[in-house]
Amino acid sequence: MGRFVLFAGTALTVALVTAGAYGQGTRGAVPQPPPTAKARAPFDMTGYWVSMVTEDWRFRMITPPKGDYLGVPLNQEARSIADRWDPAKDEAAGEQCKSYGAANIMRVPARLHITWENDQTLKLETDAGMQTRLFYFGTPQGQGGTWQGISKASWEFDAGFGLPAERFDRFGTQVRPQGGTMKVVTTRLRPGYLRKNGIPYSAEALVTEYFDRVTEPNGDVYLVVTMTVEDPMYLSQPYMTSTSFRKQADAARWNPTPCTSR
Amino acid sequence: MTRSHAACIFLTIVAAATLAFGQGQAYHPLGIDLAGYWSQFARQQDVGLGTAAGELGDYGGVPISEAGRLSALAWSASRLTLPQHQCVGYVTPYVFYGPGYFRVWEERDPQTQELIAIKMRPYAAMPDRTIWMDGRSHPPAYAQHTWAGFSTGKYEGNILTVYTTHIKKGQFRANGLAQSDQATVVEHFIRHGERMTYFSVVNDPVNLDEPFPKTSNLVHVPNDPNSWTMPCDDGEIIPGQPKDRVDNYLWGQHPFLQEFVDRHKVPLLGALGGPETIYPEFAAKLADSNAADAAAKNRLIPAPGPSQPNRAVDPDPHDGEIHVLPVQGNVYMLVGDGGNIAVQAGNEGAMVVDSGAGRLSDKVIAAIRTISNKPIQFVINTSFHPDHIGGNAKLHAAGVDPEANGGNLRTFADAGVGATMLSHLNVLKRISAAGAVAPIPAEGWPTDTYTQGRRRKLHNGEAVEIFYQPNATTDGNSIVHFRRSDVIVTGDIFNSTSYPFIDVRAGGSVRGEIAALNNILDKTVSWRQEGGTMIIPGHGRLSNEWEVTEYRDMMVIIRDRVQAMINKGAPLQQVLAAKVSADYDARFGSNSGPWTTAMFIEAVYTSLKQ
Repeated sequence: MGRFVLFAGTALTVALVTAGAYGQGTRGAVPQPPPTAKARAPFDMTGYWVSMVTEDWRFRMITPPKGDYLGVPLNQEARSIADRWDPAKDEAAGEQCKSYGAANIMRVPARLHITWENDQTLKLETDAGMQTRLFYFGTPQGQGGTWQGISKASWEFDAGFGLPAERFDRFGTQVRPQGGTMKVVTTRLRPGYLRKNGIPYSAEALVTEYFDRVTEPNGDVYLVVTMTVEDPMYLSQPYMTSTSFRKQADAARWNPTPCTSR
Repeated sequence: MTRSHAACIFLTIVAAATLAFGQGQAYHPLGIDLAGYWSQFARQQDVGLGTAAGELGDYGGVPISEAGRLSALAWSASRLTLPQHQCVGYVTPYVFYGPGYFRVWEERDPQTQELIAIKMRPYAAMPDRTIWMDGRSHPPAYAQHTWAGFSTGKYEGNILTVYTTHIKKGQFRANGLAQSDQATVVEHFIRHGERMTYFSVVNDPVNLDEPFPKTSNLVHVPNDPNSWTMPCDDGEIIPGQPKDRVDNYLWGQHPFLQEFVDRHKVPLLGALGGPETIYPEFAAKLADSNAADAAAKNRLIPAPGPSQPNRAVDPDPHDGEIHVLPVQGNVYMLVGDGGNIAVQAGNEGAMVVDSGAGRLSDKVIAAIRTISNKPIQFVINTSFHPDHIGGNAKLHAAGVDPEANGGNLRTFADAGVGATMLSHLNVLKRISAAGAVAPIPAEGWPTDTYTQGRRRKLHNGEAVEIFYQPNATTDGNSIVHFRRSDVIVTGDIFNSTSYPFIDVRAGGSVRGEIAALNNILDKTVSWRQEGGTMIIPGHGRLSNEWEVTEYRDMMVIIRDRVQAMINKGAPLQQVLAAKVSADYDARFGSNSGPWTTAMFIEAVYTSLKQ
């Protein structure tokens, strides 16, 4: 029995040390400031990307005719508004960018330029419509009410399993899980269009996006953006879409163009 | 206290301490758990393109090649009335872009609990799919293709990445836009809580000009939809429809092409698809509608110039070795010496169909000995072409026919010596033609010939039927049906690697070729064109009814095009310039070697003029 007590005690000590190292990392060391969002990024999103217009092609590449709302769960009120879509009126009002807001901008055929604005803010620019989105990992700036609203970003490594951002192996070495997702929640939007033909979303719209990066065997790198738009005013249920972007070597075909309403 | 008690307590303490002082979450070393039921979410994205939908002439947003576009432009929905087309399966990744749901579960080693495979059951038109997670290799290129293909996977963080090969020819869209059997697919299953983003990238060297990326959205369904079958049985939809009729549109004469364009105000240039249509810059090309329409009209027919080179994978290993592929029952396929060789093994002796080119006959014989401990008793030749009879003499010498060494036959000095060589009489005639240099030594000539429509044998306890196929690629073709094993050896009537070598000078004809393909299809049975009767082609990979169907369709369609031009008085050169096989050349054609695309078209033309 005595041998077992010694054995169990040793085991408990080992377990405590192991668990401590796994969970807390360098316990007892000088406290360090939490790593920045940029430092914690599980993958590199920066650079130039081009949208692959392979989903909903005829709604995205070409302005669909008035009344063509196939696939969008808009309610009756939204339908009556969309039926009155008048691009000339939008132009006259200086609202050519209504279909370039955060609830649709990732569906616009465009090239993206993604950079770190600072250690806690990722910036996404589009050439089509010349829009800029700021994804705040820290405290968001601004009041919203803009086409791109206010976007709060976070890294998710585990797709629902609650893995910590960093963990440490039993030797205390930091281990960063592979893969990972950037989740972006956007609110406080200026009302705009879900499609160019006037399907509306309201200032109440909530846009949730996941950004994932994958690498193909041939070396192509894709950014997969999954988006859900919830709008209690105009949608009868969440509107879910997804889009891919292929990484570009440089800015060769970057071509900023203003918004168009037609 | 026993050692086992102590060990249990130790492990309990370790586990408890880890949970108490760790992060409170067990790390899932494999990534994510996809098990459960998943459904397409309300068909919001690409809602017009789902299963059994897809408007005719809607190819926008798919980076199709010229071959892919021309193939779609020839497709008529009436093709679905053919028995072999009524219950076709869905390929990877098309099955994820239609409505419906999926069940996902894991297969683990019962002892070690190591993950062996992830299984998927789609609602419709695909048998259970297996994604191997144990690191195994993909099969060789001469192995059969299935709707789901052969998949291997790995976890990459929160993403399951799957690589799939060996997929049958299927569809990108249900409107004739075809994914070729040369396609390979990379899929990423990305879970975000209760939803999953499905991202696939198809690489198809035949029907695509560049990789085709596409996404779809699935949601987790808590309850079993309890509807996992979709019954289908082919029937006679058009009574009396001739077997050599495969409805298709001549290029430039698609009667419904304008419907999609007019209904949705889509420029034809965009509707016709192609790699440029998936990039943002394409919108600018549509600004000049006159130029766009002119460009579109040029895409309704093949572009002038030489035929496309073959872009298909050569399934022959070309490594100087003979590879044995078990087919089913007692039948094996031997690959590596020119034409494929079939071997039926059993207690009575090996029955061999064709002998290859004769370059590796010693290795062929050695390979046969690995699957049959009895000597070669019969060798059947499906034609007289040298890549099927080249090994006759050596295989004959290596064999023995005990049945031929009894009774009155004993009066012959060579009775029972060597394997008995069988073929249609015309094979012997062609080999032994007066004045010609014999392609093989006389020892290898067929001596047991037949002239009637069917020769039959009960060998190794199995009914074996040899059917004469007159004027197919030659005037001496046979197919061999192993009835219990349910395997048909087609010889050169069906090749998965090239257009059929229709030897018009030796009696071959396109009409006979089509009739022979239909004769094969009259004998095949499959479930959703998968499994069932297996087909050993003259050249190329192991196949089944679906591949023969597609080959038959191709032959009928090309015949129709050539016949239409003959009817208008077109000379051969004009037919060649029209590139009437442009949608198939990248898959079956060749611009060099012993059997070029031009030679094939000339053979079709010549035999139709006869």
